[in-house]
Order: sequence, then C-alpha cells, then structure tokens
Amino acid sequence: MIGGSVAVASTCCLGAVVPPLAMLDWHAVFFMLFAAAACGCALAVVLADNVVRMAFYLVLSLGATAGLFFLAGAEFVGAMQLMIYVGGTLVLLVFGVMLTAQAPFVSIKTSAAEKAFAGLLGGALLTLLLVAALSVEPWRRPGSVGPTEPSATPLGMALVGVRVDEPPAHSPAVGRSGYLLPFEIISVHLLVVLVAAAYLARAKRRKTPRPVEMVASVEPPVSVAEHAAIGREAAVGAPARSGSVLVGGGS
Amino acid sequence: MVEYLIDRVGLPGWLAWTAAASLAAVLILNVIAGGALVFIWAERKIAARIQDRLGPTRTGGKFGWLQSLADGIKLLAKEDLMPDGADGMLFRLAPYVSFCASFCAFIALPFAFDFVGLRLNVAVFFVVAVLGLEVFGVILAGYASASKWSLFGSMREAAQVVSYEVPLGMCVVVPVMLAGSMDMVTIAEKQAGWFWNWYLFHDPFTFVIFWVYVTCAVASVNRAPFDLAEAESELVAGFHTEYSGLRWSFFFMAEYGSMFLVSAMAAVLFLGGWNGPVPLATLAGLSEGTGDTAGYLVRLLGMVNLLGKATLGVLVMMWIRWTLPRLRIDQVMTTCLKYCTPIAAVMFAGAMLWQLFLPGGLVPGMRRPAGEIREGWLEGPGGRGAASAATGSGDLVLAPAAQVRP
Amino acid sequence: MASILDDDPRIIEFDVRTDEMLVNMGPQHPSTHGVLRLVLRTDGEIVSEVEPHIGYLHRCAEKIGENLTARQWIPYTDRMDYLAAMNMNLGWSLAVEKLMKYEVSEKARHLRVLIAELGRIASHLVGMGAYGLDLGTFSPFLYAFREREKILDLFEEACGARLTYSYITVGGLTADLPPGWLQRCEAFLDQFEPVIKEYHALLTTNAIFVKRTANIGVMSREMAIDYGCSGPVLRGSGVDQDLRRDGEAIYTAMYDGYAFEVAVMKNGRYPRDHEYPPVPPDAVIGDCWHRFFVRMIEVVQSMDLVRQAIDRYSACKGTIGEPLKLTEKIPAGDAYLETECPKGQMGFYLVGDGTAIPWRARARSSSFSNLSVTADLCRGCLIADVPAIVGSLDIVMGEIDR
Repeated sequence: MIGGSVAVASTCCLGAVVPPLAMLDWHAVFFMLFAAAACGCALAVVLADNVVRMAFYLVLSLGATAGLFFLAGAEFVGAMQLMIYVGGTLVLLVFGVMLTAQAPFVSIKTSAAEKAFAGLLGGALLTLLLVAALSVEPWRRPGSVGPTEPSATPLGMALVGVRVDEPPAHSPAVGRSGYLLPFEIISVHLLVVLVAAAYLARAKRRKTPRPVEMVASVEPPVSVAEHAAIGREAAVGAPARSGSVLVGGGS
Repeated sequence: MVEYLIDRVGLPGWLAWTAAASLAAVLILNVIAGGALVFIWAERKIAARIQDRLGPTRTGGKFGWLQSLADGIKLLAKEDLMPDGADGMLFRLAPYVSFCASFCAFIALPFAFDFVGLRLNVAVFFVVAVLGLEVFGVILAGYASASKWSLFGSMREAAQVVSYEVPLGMCVVVPVMLAGSMDMVTIAEKQAGWFWNWYLFHDPFTFVIFWVYVTCAVASVNRAPFDLAEAESELVAGFHTEYSGLRWSFFFMAEYGSMFLVSAMAAVLFLGGWNGPVPLATLAGLSEGTGDTAGYLVRLLGMVNLLGKATLGVLVMMWIRWTLPRLRIDQVMTTCLKYCTPIAAVMFAGAMLWQLFLPGGLVPGMRRPAGEIREGWLEGPGGRGAASAATGSGDLVLAPAAQVRP
Repeated sequence: MASILDDDPRIIEFDVRTDEMLVNMGPQHPSTHGVLRLVLRTDGEIVSEVEPHIGYLHRCAEKIGENLTARQWIPYTDRMDYLAAMNMNLGWSLAVEKLMKYEVSEKARHLRVLIAELGRIASHLVGMGAYGLDLGTFSPFLYAFREREKILDLFEEACGARLTYSYITVGGLTADLPPGWLQRCEAFLDQFEPVIKEYHALLTTNAIFVKRTANIGVMSREMAIDYGCSGPVLRGSGVDQDLRRDGEAIYTAMYDGYAFEVAVMKNGRYPRDHEYPPVPPDAVIGDCWHRFFVRMIEVVQSMDLVRQAIDRYSACKGTIGEPLKLTEKIPAGDAYLETECPKGQMGFYLVGDGTAIPWRARARSSSFSNLSVTADLCRGCLIADVPAIVGSLDIVMGEIDR
C-alpha cells in the first residue's frame, strides 16, 4: 500500500514534468514503461500474499519510481530513492525472512470482507488523490522558464507547492498552486499506515499459550508448567529473543 | 564524441549517435562480461601461483587462457536444478537481480574523459546506491533456496552490506568534498597532473581514508576475508548452495563486476581516475579536452590507465583472498562499527578541516584548485535575478542558486 | 482456553521473535573432516547445542581383525587413521609384540622411530593445513600438502605406497631403506625447517587467525582429563602427558636415548619457546590456538627426533632383521597397548588363543574421545566457531568409525 501510494504520487507529480504522450518520443515511452512498472508492482504488493514476495515487488515498484526520477532529470532524488527506500525495503525484507524463517513461505490471508473494506477505503483515497493531482494546471505553458540544468530542487519545490516553471514573481498564488495538496494527502496516508503498522506490531498478551515450536519436534513437547516458566523467564529476563542474527556474542 | 564523428569522420547524424552509443555499451558490456571471464582466469592463475601450483595450463594453449570459456560452456550445459521447496519465481530471478545491480552501476562510471555511459551529476552517489542493491539478489537467493545454509548466508550478507555502507559512504564523501562535485568525471579531472595531485596524496586524512575505503570496498563486495555470505567452510557455499549452471555463474559475474566497480571507483576517487602518475599527454602538449583525433587518443590512453588501475585493485583483492583467513561475523561487524566507521568519521572531519585551513596543501608548489559547489537550476538568464528579487517580498522564496566558492 | 498464563500480568508474548533452527552440518559438509555429522541447534548465528553423529564410515575393521592373522590385519590399521598410517601400523605391531614378548633389532627400533616421527610430521601437516581451510584460508593447506608430498615420496621409496603403507609390521619392518634414502630425508629436513616460519607467518601469528582461534573453545585441564582426551588436544590444555615418555615400557623403550621435551605449556612457557613466535596475549591455555600451536611445536620436535634417529640408525651395523611370518602363532593371553599417535593415544587390544588368528582385536581411538568434547566446547559459540573448534581437535573419521 505504501508502495502503491508512493508510486501513484510520483506518477502524478512527474506526469506534469515530462512531456505529454502526444509527442510520442522515447522519453514518453520510457515514462510509460517506468510508470506502468511502478503501478503494476505496487498493485502486486497489495495482491501478493507472501511477505518476501511483497517486499520484492515493493523493491521493483520503488526502483521504477527511481527510474521516473532519473527520467525527470532529478538524478539526486533518484539515487536517494534507491539508497533510502530500496535500502530500507532491504531491511524490511530481512525482517520478513527472519520472522518467517521457520515456516519458509508464510502467507498472509485476508478475508473477503477485509478485502472489500480495504478496497473501498483505498479506492476512495486514490480517487481523492487523483482528483487533487489532476486538478493542478499542467506545467510548461508556452513561454515558461524551464530549469537550465536538471536538478532536484524543482521537484522538491513542486512537492511543497511552488510553481518552479514560472518566474516566482509572476506566480499569482505562490505556495498554493502546486502539488502541495496531493503531497499532503499522501503524507497523511503514510501516517495512517505507520500507526496501523505500529498497532499490528505492538507487544500484546496472548489469550492462548503459544504453540510448541517446530524445532521442538526432536524433544518432548513442552508442558504447560514449563511453558509458563519459559514465558516468565522471557518476560523478566531478556525482553525478546529477536534479531539474533546480528548479535555477535561469541567472544 | 558525436560531434567529432559528424564533423571529422563525416558520418551522418544517426550513424554517429549509434556509433557513440554502441561504443559506450560495448565498453560496459565488455568490462562486465569479458572482464568476468578474464578475472576468473586470472583468479585461477593467481591463486595457483600463490599456492605453488600451475593452474590451468592446457585449455586454449600454454596459459590456459580459454579456461573461463570452457567453464562457461560447462556451466551452460549443466542441469539447472531447483530445490523442491524453493520459491520458484524468486529463486529464478535472484541471480539476475544481483547481476543487474552490478551492471547498472557501470552506467555512471567514467572510463576516461567523456567516455561514460551516462554522465550524472550525482554519479558517486548513484554508484554507491546501485551497488547496495546487489545484496538484494543474494538475500532473495538465500531465502528462496529453502535451505538453511543459504538463509544463513543471505542474512550475513544483509547484515554486513548494510553496515558497511555507512563507512563506505563516509569514505566516498571525502573526495566528493575535495572536488566539490559528485560527478565522477569532475572528480577525476580535478586530480589531473602529476601523481601527487591524486586525492590519495591530498593530505594525511585522505591517505588514511583510502585504506578504510579499501577495507569497506572488499567487505561490501563480499571478498575474503569478509566473504561470510559464502563461507565455504561454515555454510557449504552460503547463499548459492542450491544454485547450479548458468544461474550460479550470474552470481559470479555480479561478484567480479562489483569487484571491478569498486576498484574503478577507488581509482577515480583516490588514484587520479584516468590520469596517469605522470601527465604524459600534457607534457607532450596534448589535451584530452579537445575534440580532435589527438584528443581521442589521449582519452584512449586515459581509459587504459583507468582499466589498469581497476585491474590492479582486483588483483590485490585476489591476493588478499588467497592469503588471509576469514573473519567471524561478530568480528566483521566489530571491524565495521568499532574501527572503520569512527576512523572514517574522524578522517572525514580532518579532511574537512584541512580543506578549510590548508586548501593549498603544505608545500606552496602543490596548490590545487579549490572545490566548487554549484547548484545551478536557476542559473539561466534572469533566473538568479528573479530569485534575489523575490527575496525581499516576504513570499516563500526559492533557495537562491548562489555559487559558493570557499 | 483458560490457563494460568491468563492470570499472570507479567507474561507478555512478543510477536517479534526468532525461532531456533536445527541445522545438519554434515555428513556431506566441507569442514567436518570426512563424514562426521553435527546437528546444530542455532538461534541465529549462535549455536546452543551441538550433537555429533558418527558411524558413517564404519567398516567392521575390528571384526575383520578376528578373522585374520595378526600381520594380515596391518593393512586394516592403515585405514584407521589414514593420515598417519605408519603410526597405526606401529601401534598394532607393538601390541602384538607385547603379547608375544618379542623384541625387534636395534636397527629396526631406530628405523621405526624415524618412520613414526616422519609420519607424525605428515599427519600434523594435514591437521595444520586443514585447520587453515576450516578458517577460510586455502593457501596454507596447499603449502602443507606440498611438504607432505615430499614425506610421502620418501615413504613411497621405502615401502612402495603413499597412503596405506603396511610398512611397520609385527616383528620389524617389511623392508630396509633403499640406498641414499637417508640423505634425501636429511635434505628434506633441511629444506623443511625454514618453511615452518612460513606457516607461522600465515597462520600462527596472523592477526585474523589469532582472532578466530584465541580464547575459542577453551577446554580446562580437568575437562580434558575427564573426557579422556589425549595427544595435542590434551597437551593444549596444559596436561603434561606424552606416552613416548610416560607410556608402557615396551613403547618408551623405543625412544630410549632420544632427547625430546614434551610439547606442553609449563609455568606459562613452552619448551624452547624462543624458537617459536610468542604466545598472543588473547590466547588462553586450552583454546584452539594452543591446540594448534602444540602441533606446530611437535612438528619441530619430530624433526629433531628424525635427525637423532637417522644418526642412530646409520650407526647400527647389520640388518633390521626379518619380520615375523604371516602365520605366526599368537600365545594365549591378552595385551593392551597405547601408543602416542599424532592425533592422540591410540590403543590396541588383542586376545590370543594359541592360534595365528587373534580371538579378539579391538582398537581404542583417540579421535573418538577428542570428538566427544565437541558438544561441550561448542555450546554458546557462533556457527563459524564450530569448524574452528572441530578442526582444532584434528579428528579423522576413519579412526573413529573403524
């Protein structure tokens, strides 16, 4: 979902910077290619039910978005996108693998009702986003002052609502005319996703004792009393045995 | 180059474009594919010589120089196996992900003045970012193989590469700071002249940070003593345990590609790029900047220079590999977090102060041009004026694209 | 489902946690020295439990020994510790000679010392090189094999075989040395001596090697004795025990008049330690580094013994004498003898019933006892330490499974 919104956002923002499709030049073709990859993979993230595959699609989507940035001449943002988002997803991937290592291909199943609700909500947000993005006047009207050298600054400026394609003095409503609204919608969207992720990942009490681990197949099953002892030890002593791949405790 | 081909050689425009593009493509392709073949052969020969053996001696004549080709044919003919429990799609894709990452970074690598696939103004950053993606393929391979050894290998790789990107980034930033640009062409140009103009000899801090860079580069491309991801004595073969045939060879091409890439980066950032230790061309009165035949010859010489330096770097990595034992994962992390990162940070600060207080160096004769930071998106006619005019109006103001000259 | 867990407010389950993994290291694994299988229980990189499984190389050698005459069983002893087959031959021969109360000629005795000590060097070279391999460095392995090949060349000249010699046999040796052999052996020793410095540079004093081995797999003196460890593993823990000095009379008599010091750390010093690189400050007595270092010292010590043996052997007049007949009858009774083999104390037991074929033939393997400490040493170490620890024990599966 994050990938989807980012991809959509960048598609919207960049759609104006790149020449329209009518010109049918290579630039446009590549734009379509990257945009399709970004959107398609974002969709795949939502539809896939395997954590690692989701992460993989997310990487592809973010990579395609980086390609869009490169296409727009914002190489710095593109490289940034690769480094931060794709690198960040890498960590996500690692955690996905670590947490599902025992049962290699853990699937995430969602019920039909959840799907419908999520689809409704996502669709509404997407509509809002598209309306907000498409309501912005197209850039590069005849006679506008284009950037002399490709750089990240116009993109950044565009995202906070400044029309950099016009001389600032001539812009009638500086700060209120650009892509600020879509940008803010996405920001709120991301915030909601973050809160939801924190909710899902929070430490919580279990109603039922956790099932006997798979490794325990070679030992006798742990009795309830023993289990309670283990649980108590875990709660009182070390908080959680997590991320031990990175912990070097040997020497 | 296109202008040269049109003006001097008299080619029609489309042909000139095609020729120039092909040259760039061929260079990149050959460095990776051909380079991998050569390096695999070299590795075998070097390993053999280090170990008092002969290595390949028969395939293709006296020195076994066709050995890699024979290996390639063998790998092509090999059965392509996939474990039952594997995640088929990811398992098949993983080698290509690795290879693509390694390959893509070459786009921004300049082989000589103007001999660059795509001249990016953030080339250094781009290369570091793309190089970090190689680990993706490794993690996917380790996960998708459904083998515990593979999983161990990929987890190690992830931990290692993610950690080493920090000091590596710091090392890379120093030449960027000295040159005032992330454009690799500019960085190399700034080191033109005699070898003491190289950033390696710029000041004591850059000299130290070069060695930190070497350490981090070896670690980030997974070569011994940091080859934990495929530690054959512990993890059988690490992340590529379950791979065979051509897919397996893609991992190797990626590895050799990355080795060459970090070596070439070291050459560009610290060792003068395509500038030789002695400025032969300049002494002979030639300039690489001119678009005539002589200029191209000088560039060609520069390319040989850069390839030579990068190859030397790769050979040094091989030498290290066949000499040292492997570190343990916690020691690898310690090396990164407790040694490389603080040293790189201190050297970065030192180089910065040096640049601030002694920009010309200690010896008067060694003056070099100071770095120049440009942010030029509004530098066009009227752009700067408009920006500064708006400063007073109290509106939201664009960052003025002023030229900062220390 | 209601349980006591519901009532305890302190019990909080964390959803984010990693599980333990059960990993099979071996029997087909590059660093288990043959067909050893280690079952590791790991939490990430940390090994919480190691269980060695053996038996993949069992060939019923002992049962076969009860159907062959004593001398006919010699080739089977070759295949026990196939890296030090000469020492295996010697162990069985001496055990049979002990039961028969047979004494070999003076010249044969010195030749046996010579060959056994060369065998010890050859075995330690493999142990040392393979240890480098376990730690991820390939070249020392080949440097070690380069030198071992030269010893094997010498063995080949003496007995015609390079791996399974059956050279030392009951009642002596199958043949005397060919002419010029001693000179070639001395030339080898002269050439080999400086090579040891290379090994020290590449391994013993290498910073990474020290980091990987020092203070890893520390085995206390008591633990080493309790587990019945022997050889360099025992001496690496600081126990002053070497059967060449402390063994039974029939074995120590072989080394009568030979000067050597047991390679063990006493009062914080190794014998003649000025000739070796200093012990790194990180190393603790009983760790992998010390086990390795004891082997390195023993190589030098064995070279010295070989030189002494060459002198004594060439001083002896006459021949080495003939070995016993293949069908020589063994008296009724039993005998057990342990000898100091490169890997440790190898014991052979036989019961005779008056025929040529022993009623019982048994072997006590040093590697078996040495391997048994693996589970204790590897508890809580990292995965990378498992090969480092198992490698430092220098086991041979042929000897464990027999």
